[in-house]
Amino acid sequence: MTFQKCLTICCVALAIACGRADAQQNRRGRAVLSIPKVENKDIICFALYTVHDSTLKLTAQLYPIAEADTKTVRLEIEKDGKWVEVARTTAVEQGWTAPFRVENWDDSRTCRYRVAHGTEATYEGIIRRNPVDQDEIVVAGFTGNSIHPAHGGDISRQDIIDNVKKVDADVLFFSGDQVYDHNRHYAAWLKFGRDFGEIIKERPTLCLPDDHDAGQPNLWGESGKISTLSGASDGGYSRPGVYVREVERAQTSHFPDPADPHKVGQGIGVWFTNLNWGNVDFAILEDRKFKTGPAGRVPKQGPRPDHIRNPDYDPASVDVEGAVLLGERQLRFLDNWAQDWRHADMKVALSQTIFCGGAHIHGSANGRLHADMDSNGWPQSGRNRALDALRKGFAFHCAGDQHLATIFQHGIDEHRDAIWSFCVPSIANLYLRWWEPLEPGRNRETGAPEYTGDHLDGFHNKVTNHAAANPEKKPAGNILNTRAAGFGIVRLNTATRQITMECWPRNVDITSSAAKQYRGWPRTISQFDNYNPRSWGKLGKITFDVEDPVVQLIHADTNEILYTVRANGQTFTPSAPKDNVFIVKAGKDAPDTIISTGMKAGSAPLAVTIN
Amino acid sequence: MRAECPARAPQESLFRYGINIERKERVIPSSAVNKPNFDSRLIIILRLGAFFCFAGWTWVHFYWEGPYGILVWQDATYVFAERIGIDWEEFVGSGADDGFVQKWVARIGWFYLICAVITVIVRKGSWIQMAALVGGSGLLTILSYAKYVASQRQPPMFIEHGGQILMPILLVTALALGVRHRVTVTTALLALVTTFAGHGCYALGLWPPPATFHAMTSVILDVGYDTANTMLHTAGILDFLVCIGIFLPPLRRMSALYAAAWGFVTAIARPVAGMSLSLNYWGADQFVHEAVLRAPHVFIPLFLFFLWREPQSAENVARPPGLTSDDSGTTRPITCTID
Repeated sequence: MTFQKCLTICCVALAIACGRADAQQNRRGRAVLSIPKVENKDIICFALYTVHDSTLKLTAQLYPIAEADTKTVRLEIEKDGKWVEVARTTAVEQGWTAPFRVENWDDSRTCRYRVAHGTEATYEGIIRRNPVDQDEIVVAGFTGNSIHPAHGGDISRQDIIDNVKKVDADVLFFSGDQVYDHNRHYAAWLKFGRDFGEIIKERPTLCLPDDHDAGQPNLWGESGKISTLSGASDGGYSRPGVYVREVERAQTSHFPDPADPHKVGQGIGVWFTNLNWGNVDFAILEDRKFKTGPAGRVPKQGPRPDHIRNPDYDPASVDVEGAVLLGERQLRFLDNWAQDWRHADMKVALSQTIFCGGAHIHGSANGRLHADMDSNGWPQSGRNRALDALRKGFAFHCAGDQHLATIFQHGIDEHRDAIWSFCVPSIANLYLRWWEPLEPGRNRETGAPEYTGDHLDGFHNKVTNHAAANPEKKPAGNILNTRAAGFGIVRLNTATRQITMECWPRNVDITSSAAKQYRGWPRTISQFDNYNPRSWGKLGKITFDVEDPVVQLIHADTNEILYTVRANGQTFTPSAPKDNVFIVKAGKDAPDTIISTGMKAGSAPLAVTIN
Repeated sequence: MRAECPARAPQESLFRYGINIERKERVIPSSAVNKPNFDSRLIIILRLGAFFCFAGWTWVHFYWEGPYGILVWQDATYVFAERIGIDWEEFVGSGADDGFVQKWVARIGWFYLICAVITVIVRKGSWIQMAALVGGSGLLTILSYAKYVASQRQPPMFIEHGGQILMPILLVTALALGVRHRVTVTTALLALVTTFAGHGCYALGLWPPPATFHAMTSVILDVGYDTANTMLHTAGILDFLVCIGIFLPPLRRMSALYAAAWGFVTAIARPVAGMSLSLNYWGADQFVHEAVLRAPHVFIPLFLFFLWREPQSAENVARPPGLTSDDSGTTRPITCTID
């Protein structure tokens, strides 16, 4: 009996302990998510579109259609004051998406459209004309759309709506984690539509599904493999293929057609492609889908297969043979894309995350991680190949995912020899991170914080930090801006070829002179900074008889393309590695004419006739 | 004579269900019914279940990391730390070094290791060791609670850990009170029911199942989502049938056997689905412990299966399941007729 008494006391003590632990839990953090019952006239929630290469693709997102109601959805445009049907489709029941495709679209005019269902429901928006005559293309960038109240996810997005309207953004870019619910993408996607539909319906919008959208905390897609390890670091998708397909249909079926449409495992499609808008060529990348999972592939270096805690580890040991980042198909696409400058003055790569380990402290309380394989800093070889492909087109990179806004210039062989990237802040920051290197950066700008400058990330990738919107260490109030929430604006000036990055906190009027950006922003760079290593020299100035020709430099001894770029104006002074000889090709829209077979640093100026 | 033969009751049940079994007689040797000997074997089953459970979690704590992040990285914990006089940087580390939390999360593994050792050496009357095992159950409760919170507070996540949480307590009660004591058997039943009910809730889709459920089914059996879904639903129904069947005397042994088999299959499914020759150590360090720490899912039903298989005295047959006459250890040969 004594024992039984002891046992009873222990059980009661345990129950009390659990109760107290439960009471300690922050119940503010639980989001309520449901699919509201709507009337038939409101059954269309929102619509997303892109126009590319004279093809309009629009996806209407509907609330559930009753069994007895028609599944047919119509797309109409306004012509001479009347609505004219241009396409119709059947809503896909799994996720209730209605994807439309209209070819031979005249993108030179703005057009009102409406999506219609049955006799009652309509949803109106505007298909913008292609802003090819604008000098400045404005991209509004977002990531991490947490709806959890604990950190302000339940606070209205109206400030974002208002600001996007004020700057009249030409393109909306949601880099990922539009949805954080791992089981109810449809319900969360509808909420996303209710929150952002007002701005999405009027401009091309790119939503890149990331790990949380696909229903898992991290994602190494491994070409559609099935993941069976909790945390998914064995590679592949945790959720069934049918779920992932629904997610991708909802978020990406309005993208321009994929560059290489072959499906991956579980029948999951691909959507990497490009969108040419306003003479800016956007590469839309999938940096998750093909990536190898680290579990079992790399030597264990920390408490999780994808985390490296040991600062003394050998970075080369994790750069294992066979580990993939973008994959061959996507790299082939990038190689072609970087050479194709038709209707393009500038190039921008959009992807889920950045090509380096862009944070040191993970979590709300000083959890230092030497390296995180969820970032594109790993595998290093794949990272370098991707950056090499991107810099060949002088592409600027915009991404998200990190929950920490940063500006990095990447390096492959030396610091600052590759592209710049802007990681935008989270709409509402679920998980805090800090860029806080232990050593001050080298070659910092005057007055810049110690965390800026040249560094090696946890994988020994060369990176140069120019800004980091670190959250407060112990956030007062712990919602939105104290957690460094916000959004990014990228201004791409096709006339001056300048790129301006802005990083705004939430709930400010960004047109007000009193509004302040996060420290380190705004930052303006030249398009040509995206591939301008300090060790290079200048070739002779080339003068053309046409405006803005496309110029390509090819290594004379290896025939390997160094880069292709559209010059700004009638003159161009190429930069290139010293002591190398180059074949130079040029043309009005493609480098189809050899203008020199032996240029090198210090060569004499050259006058070229292309026409 | 029939009353002397506890093994006969199930056979009669089979007859009632129309199953014809050839009549024959055999003499059960005295060694097979030596109660202390048999009890000690049942104890070994429980020791194995508890040992593997603690050993698996020890591996998690030392080699990987315990799942406590969700509990410790939050405001309430900081407030608690401040109340007990630990400042914030000391509590969470400076960023350049580990703080109180990181150090103690790592140290918890030692408690699991100690518990694993105790499961092997603990004897009746070793009250300190038994108290430590009860403490081990407390650790498993906290761990399960952390997983429950991480799962967005899905009750089945906590419930399905019932088998693991109760495994050490079951061993303690078996040692202290006897394997057939009411408390022991009730604890075993509770452990089995919670495990299978929690699992069944997920498999039936009453709560969104962990993604690994479908994934493992698809990978191991090479079936598509729809088939995997159907199989999980079927398994979910069987999970609940087990929870009922375990209380029905004619079905309880069959239920326990099925539960042991299914517990084994679901535990071993992790390494089977995940391990590969192409991985470092074949992926063993990633997956094997996932099977090992689920040992209670196998050994608790196995314990019940063998407990109910034991030839019992006439007195025991007349008693409700789990009740015993005494632990005197008196042995005698029994001649038994099996239908």
